[in-house]
Amino acid sequence: MSTKPKDGTDIAAGLLLMAAAGFFGWQTRALEIGTSLRMGPGYFPMVLSGVLFLLGLVVFLRAFGREDDEPFGKIAWRGILFILPAPIFFGLTVRGLGFVPALFLTSFIAAQASVRMRPVPALILALAVTILSTLIFSYGLGLPFRRFGPWVQF
Amino acid sequence: MTVSITRRLLLGAAMALGLAGAAAAEYPERPITLVIPFAAGGSTDVVGRIVADRMSQELGQQVIVQNVGGAGGSLGAGQVAKADPDGYTILMATVATHALNPLILKQKPYDPVADFAPISLLVLVPNVLAVNPELPVNSVQELIDLAKKEPLAYASSGNGTPLHLSGELFKAMAGIDVTHIPYKGSGPALTDVLGNQVPIIFDNLPSASSHIASGKLRALGVTTKERAPSFPDVPAIAETLPGYETYTWNALFAPAGTPPEVIERLSAAAKAAMADPAVAERMKDFSATIVASGPEELAEHVKAEMAKWEPVVRDANVSLD
Amino acid sequence: MDLISNLALGFSVASSFANLAFCLIGVLLGTLIGVLPGIGATATIAMLLPITFQLEPVSSLIMLAGIYYGAQYGGSTTAILINMPGESSSAVTAIDGYQMARKGRAGTALAVAALGSFFAGTVSTFLVAIFAPPLTEVALKFGAAEYFSLMVMGLVMSVALAHGSVVKALAMVVLGLLLGLVGTDIYTGAPRFTMGITQYADGLNFVAVAVGVFGIAEILRNLEDEHDREVMTKNITRLFPTRQELKQMIGPVLRGTGVGSVLGILPGGGAILASFASYTVEKKLSAHPEEFGQGALAGVAGPESANNAGAQTSFIPLLTLGIPANPVMALMIGAMIIQGIVPGPNVVSEQPRLFWGIIASMWIGNLMLVVLNLPLIGLWVRLLTVPYYVLFPIIMAMCSIGVYSVASNTYDLFAVAFFGLLGYVMSKLRCEPAPLLLGFVLGPLLEENLRRAMILSRGDPTTFLTRPISATLLLLSLGVLILVFMPQIRKRRDEVFTESDA
Repeated sequence: MSTKPKDGTDIAAGLLLMAAAGFFGWQTRALEIGTSLRMGPGYFPMVLSGVLFLLGLVVFLRAFGREDDEPFGKIAWRGILFILPAPIFFGLTVRGLGFVPALFLTSFIAAQASVRMRPVPALILALAVTILSTLIFSYGLGLPFRRFGPWVQF
Repeated sequence: MTVSITRRLLLGAAMALGLAGAAAAEYPERPITLVIPFAAGGSTDVVGRIVADRMSQELGQQVIVQNVGGAGGSLGAGQVAKADPDGYTILMATVATHALNPLILKQKPYDPVADFAPISLLVLVPNVLAVNPELPVNSVQELIDLAKKEPLAYASSGNGTPLHLSGELFKAMAGIDVTHIPYKGSGPALTDVLGNQVPIIFDNLPSASSHIASGKLRALGVTTKERAPSFPDVPAIAETLPGYETYTWNALFAPAGTPPEVIERLSAAAKAAMADPAVAERMKDFSATIVASGPEELAEHVKAEMAKWEPVVRDANVSLD
Repeated sequence: MDLISNLALGFSVASSFANLAFCLIGVLLGTLIGVLPGIGATATIAMLLPITFQLEPVSSLIMLAGIYYGAQYGGSTTAILINMPGESSSAVTAIDGYQMARKGRAGTALAVAALGSFFAGTVSTFLVAIFAPPLTEVALKFGAAEYFSLMVMGLVMSVALAHGSVVKALAMVVLGLLLGLVGTDIYTGAPRFTMGITQYADGLNFVAVAVGVFGIAEILRNLEDEHDREVMTKNITRLFPTRQELKQMIGPVLRGTGVGSVLGILPGGGAILASFASYTVEKKLSAHPEEFGQGALAGVAGPESANNAGAQTSFIPLLTLGIPANPVMALMIGAMIIQGIVPGPNVVSEQPRLFWGIIASMWIGNLMLVVLNLPLIGLWVRLLTVPYYVLFPIIMAMCSIGVYSVASNTYDLFAVAFFGLLGYVMSKLRCEPAPLLLGFVLGPLLEENLRRAMILSRGDPTTFLTRPISATLLLLSLGVLILVFMPQIRKRRDEVFTESDA
């Protein structure tokens, strides 16, 4: 255990920035750099990746020798688990299931992210969102989405 | 809002009448989606929406426009190529989706011949070679002479677009070198030519026409074989460079495997739509020539276009991954 | 005088019963759709465009214009209430507007936004009417070199958006620039950072990125500790600004209007900078710069005015050149063509009823918006009393629809999830999203113009200094840079003002 003060948050931020710079730099390697006159597609990204790496390094180095003035806090695991998949689910099913079932399930999944939400209110909420959105977007605005897709054809 | 609801009611009524007179399974029994592989507001979108509106009346079912833009039209075209071949998903194709992209793209998202059933070639739209009036040239020949003496640059709506390749074909046939400056669309390219940041542009005639008419741009030549009816004073480039011919076109396709009777029905509806005087008037404003061909002519047309552009694409060394 | 008779013609067209009705429907629909989370002006117009096609040309354009600025109003409302911007401009409003809302001042923020926008809209409508043709000439003087220098100035300003560490803010800008480059390189057609996904060939969807790093990150933060933390304070004291607050907003509104009007004229993306630039100006002029990011009134009043002024003046290149300054304008051009009007320099002389009618309707529409929105503020604020666990599933559903409706692209929804996670991680690491978003919108413009300028000058970098407008802009950037870093050098401001966002 080190007793020297250090800012854990900034250490993580610096490392993450350098990792991002590394990713972009690595992705740039296949691109042509070109010359200053005829800059290739890789010229600008390469310069930017370099700058990002340096900035990440500065954040990282300055994190040593001072206290972390704001602890990291809790992480919203439940939120991450249910909120983030909601739009992904909508994207994957809107064509197959159609607008209505996809939206219903999306709202229902998102509602699970809160511990305060019980199953029955969640169902009611999802149903209400679906009915209102279908009226507004599908009937009112005539958005070109099929209400019920081929997977639930009747 | 009210107007559109009334219209939808009318369509619904028309649909009910149509169904009453025919067998229950008669095509079309539900709305048809017309995929436009570009963003709303562009020239293909405009042609598509005008045609879709008129075809709705013809078919007794709504033809709903859906814009699926991206990757120079490849995303929307690829989506239709993979759609169910039931006639309920059709594509508004262009020279880009059905001739240029398949030649240019290294990864082919679809085959323009094997994956599609042609319906109708709707319109041909001329392109134009124009310059800022401060450039001291008044004809195609003078431009070629100047380009042999001085370094010049031309603007286009983007890399691998029909306009870029029109420029490349021009350079190859005239034996000159002019630097290509690509933009994101015609709008910004036009702005820079109007402001004389770049002296030369290849553009669609419809998008450049008002600037030519007002004298802000000097049209040197249209890219069609003959002069355009809307600009009889502008010569064809072919008058200086015999054999030069490019144009943009719009056509309807369904996914391969769509039943022939459905194709017939759609083709007839498209022909009827294009024969409407109001549609013809709009297309004339747009400097577009109506073709309204049948499916076979469109199939021939695609083959001819691919054959024409293949050497140009190869010589200009244009490729997109 | 011509102007008077022209404006009279315009108002006679715009105030016909039918056109007033279409204007009202336009602003109403625009506001209502725009206020849905994750749905900004572009998505709104894309959804509502077909409705306008069956109308008379003048009516249809009046309605479209109404939808456009109605959606911008609506977008600001969502940005303030739930930190969910649907446009780059409202991302700036979200910074301080949302903090005001959390402190029970949502009503004040919304009222200030509405009043500031109305004032800016009025002034800039007259600017459009009086100066449209000469201003166009100025806009055409901007070539690639000038735009590059303008974007550099925007980048320098972006640092002021952050209220924490300057180094981290710079890093966020650079990360944003890199994310902005995702997609096909326009010069060579080479795909960059798309990881082989063709759906990203045209770049990442702005709405997906903005909704992710702002809105979804905020939802996740609020879900961290549901039991002992209230998202919003329940004691909302007053809905409307006090006289003192009204006095405070005069300066920011005037400056914002000026900044926005000038930038809006430039067709190559000047309007994007309007709200960012105004925020920087206000923060630099403020006697209490430390309040920015914590709910500063000027941080809402200035950018909102600048944004609306820019939105109005961006009609200048549209109407006088027929050239769209942004995707919304492109849709309006499409609408004109469908109506059989060839947009371009001749619209003013050949279609005076249309031209002046639209201009007059812009002012009428702004008036309608302020009249509509001030009473609605009470309703919006009450919306915040809805329990958060009911609100956020609705937000997620609306975002999904909004993002998907722009281009029917499934991958845009994947991007929403990815940027939601990124935004959450960033907030945990005390990195702010606003600079990232500015970098994201500026990245492509910066590179495109840099490379174009270099090709046009045949590789001579002095082009940026020998062209007077470009040189002036670069000098201004240097000035801003010095202003930004002075306090940093003097008192290590990043340590003094580190935000404590507990």
